Amino acid sequence: MLSEVLTEDKIVINPSVKNWREAIKAAGKLLLVDEIVTSEYVQAMITSVEDKGPYIVIAPGIAIAHARPEDGVNDLGMSLAILEKPIKFGNKDNDPVKIVFSFSSPDNERHLQVFQELTSLLMRDNFVENISNATTPEEVLEYIFEK
Amino acid sequence: MKILSVCGNGLGSSLILKMAVEKVLKSEDIKANVVVSDLGNAKGLDADYIVASPEIAERLKDHKATVIAIKNMMDKNEIKEKLISQINQ
Repeated sequence: MLSEVLTEDKIVINPSVKNWREAIKAAGKLLLVDEIVTSEYVQAMITSVEDKGPYIVIAPGIAIAHARPEDGVNDLGMSLAILEKPIKFGNKDNDPVKIVFSFSSPDNERHLQVFQELTSLLMRDNFVENISNATTPEEVLEYIFEK
Repeated sequence: MKILSVCGNGLGSSLILKMAVEKVLKSEDIKANVVVSDLGNAKGLDADYIVASPEIAERLKDHKATVIAIKNMMDKNEIKEKLISQINQ
């Protein structure tokens, strides 16, 4: 379940970032906690965008960074960075990005359930605006899980 | 009816788009098999429709399937306007 992987320690608000690479790192390094992924995996998330393009910006203001299971994944993980100032990723339709998720899955299926919940969350009306109102990770979780 | 949802890895964006498309299909009471694929494998797969981001869609324009570019994957209305309108034609 999403609530089992996206916990308070996997959320950072207003990290100090200057560009999209740093934005991905800010979210991705939260997965280094508990060794969910290796540092190589965080780098691979950036390389993936360099190689395959910024299609990870799936909707206005929202990026979902990830690499492949073989890039250094130990467990299912999800983390979130909410940026103070939106940053361009080079996606002409959906830039600039305010919300950066990063995820890791040990195979092609383990993340299916979590993604169902994530899809419903991202399809909420005014998602970016509402989640950006949170000032602490606790408030982010209250919004996500409608506590 | 088979719909391919494609991204660079077949893991993240394409899965999110598949799930969003499934939600819209369900609300429209349309039955379809929605499958994810990475760009490389998608070229060899049969499908009636392909959904993907504009940049991925551009690279699949020679595919036999009807290729539909979705800019905002979380926008039910964009999916309805572009995909459902094609299916209902």
